[in-house]
Amino acid sequence: MTDVGEEPETESTGGYLRRLLGEQAVHIAVILAFALYPVVYAVLVRTPLGAEFDVFLPRVHTMVAVLYIGLFAMSFDFISGYTGYLSFGHSLFYGTGAYLVVLTATGKVPMLGSDTPFMALLLVAGILAVAVAVLVGLVSFRLTGVYFAMITLGFAEVAHVFIRNWDHVSSNPRDGATIAGGDGFALGVPGVDTLQVEIGRIVGTNLGAVFGLGLGIEVDETWVSFYAIGAVVVVCYFLMQRIVHSPFGRVMIAIRENEERARAVGYDVYRFKLAAFAISGFFAAVAGGLFAGYSRSVAPSNTFDLFHTAEALLAAIIGGFGTLAGPLYGYLFTASVEGVLSTEHHGIARYLRRGLSDAMLSSGAGGVTVADAIGVLVDGRADLYLGIVFILFVLYVPHGILGTLRDRLGGTVAKRLSDRLRSTFGGRHR
Amino acid sequence: MIRTTGLTKRFGGLTAVDDVDFELGENQLCSLIGPNGAGKTTFFNLLTGTLAPSEGSVEYRPRDGDWVDVTDDDPHETALRGIHRSYQITNVFPTATALENVRVAAQAHGGDAWKLWRNVGAFPEYEREAREILERVGLGAEAETPAETLSHGQKRHLEVAVALAGDPNVLLLDEPTAGVSSDAIDRLVELIRDVAEDHAVLLVEHNMDIVMDVSDRVAVLHQGELIADGNPQAVREDRTVQEAYLGGYDPGEETNAGGDAGTGGEAA
Repeated sequence: MTDVGEEPETESTGGYLRRLLGEQAVHIAVILAFALYPVVYAVLVRTPLGAEFDVFLPRVHTMVAVLYIGLFAMSFDFISGYTGYLSFGHSLFYGTGAYLVVLTATGKVPMLGSDTPFMALLLVAGILAVAVAVLVGLVSFRLTGVYFAMITLGFAEVAHVFIRNWDHVSSNPRDGATIAGGDGFALGVPGVDTLQVEIGRIVGTNLGAVFGLGLGIEVDETWVSFYAIGAVVVVCYFLMQRIVHSPFGRVMIAIRENEERARAVGYDVYRFKLAAFAISGFFAAVAGGLFAGYSRSVAPSNTFDLFHTAEALLAAIIGGFGTLAGPLYGYLFTASVEGVLSTEHHGIARYLRRGLSDAMLSSGAGGVTVADAIGVLVDGRADLYLGIVFILFVLYVPHGILGTLRDRLGGTVAKRLSDRLRSTFGGRHR
Repeated sequence: MIRTTGLTKRFGGLTAVDDVDFELGENQLCSLIGPNGAGKTTFFNLLTGTLAPSEGSVEYRPRDGDWVDVTDDDPHETALRGIHRSYQITNVFPTATALENVRVAAQAHGGDAWKLWRNVGAFPEYEREAREILERVGLGAEAETPAETLSHGQKRHLEVAVALAGDPNVLLLDEPTAGVSSDAIDRLVELIRDVAEDHAVLLVEHNMDIVMDVSDRVAVLHQGELIADGNPQAVREDRTVQEAYLGGYDPGEETNAGGDAGTGGEAA
């Protein structure tokens, strides 16, 4: 499978770098594509076909959500896809991270001032989630299969009810809490703070000059948040990917494949599961923290809710279970569909109503006009179609987008593509 | 290498293993036989810690070591001490390659499994060990084949290969030949003979020709009790054994055990 250990030791630094670039070509390409997206989007919507692009391309605001919910879905996949234990209460960790950030910013967490740098907050959120995950895991990992899913769901629901009624959060805990006014979070990364890169309500004045590039594109706080959050998500992805490819990750897969045998060959599976669960909780909390930092408000319904876990599950099924990166693409897909079928001005329903002539809209057959059809079948019907897509994926694409791609290529996309590149260029760097 | 004293396991009213005193010596190949339901697999589960005994104890002595009580050890602890088992029904990691099946088992013994910041490729010693074991069991050419797509016979070899990883001292082989066709069985018997050279082996086997052929010693379980324990010849001629189990076995001497033919025999 891997020949890393047999690599000649005399390899020059340049050769090593070139090999690294080759192996990481796909990662670099994907990161570049994401990084360039806001610019490409801004340019495309200014072309004559701008209205069409506006409908079919996800907006930058949506892409920010793709990043943090994508990270949440990846953390869900880390435990569920790699050890086979469905963590139906995963929103518990997401909510823990989100609430910690907002409560700290509103000065309600003892010992943490409201001016704590954002990166430190994310770290604290992650560590808190690790503690929660260990407590929940100690009980839950006594069970397996559907019973594990149910008990984690139970824990999350308990937390959900608790947070809805905890009046320390705000005077009306059911509506959650909001960070009132003021500046965005300082990131707390040396050298970056001076650029005024802040998450959420940010004035990205200094960056505007850098990114605007004279294209007449306004750089607003969404852009800055997109890059700041994107950087955290990339780091988290590589950390999780590192773990998945470590000896520990192989034990996780062994547990998924056959837990009884994993125990019989000498692994204390209980501890491995607990550790994997804690790691997964850490990254879920980071995702929740990113969400809270960006939206500057949290509510029980968009953090601790079961439907939030379901969103990660949907993304994981579509993107591919046990592929780590897949769920991000899965959520990109669902978010794009939701964006296109949205009832808002960038949705296809309004676009059609704007674009089609009145005669077209009022024409129809059997008393049903085109306008009615748009209203019933298109306008805000994303959930309907996503439900159908979900069923189709479960039935016909059980490995999801990325999983199927890997099966076709016979390995991870990153590895296969770099192999192909290497053979194309005739082993020049060997 | 491993011994039990008064080992007993009761499931409700049923006594599956009844007061068994048993000892397996170094590099010995002992066959454990008995009709279905005699308690052989339960006995294995007690030895590996999968089940906790109702009474009695299990002790283990590593090479150049003293006896230690392993009665309360968990399965992963007995495995790390050097007591490995294979399963009657193939029990491997189905979607992983044959190589990864053995590699991950070898990795369990190296203490590197918690190094989650290192790449698997940084530990080539486990892969090397896995390849050696695959060569030994005759699966060298199938290293990259997913376990689930191997033939049944190959899966049975892989089952033994996974148990061999990590250099165990005691091998508990639960019917390695189960379901293997007669033309492929010879290679498995060769493999059993080969691993018995450098391991203490406790073998559950229903095929009497194989038992008589490979064993240094034969132990007979009947309704949870150890009713005979000795060299193959002596056990075969033991009257209680013949009545309990061996009734059907008769390599050509029709007068020997014909009278008891109806009582035991090899159940399906």
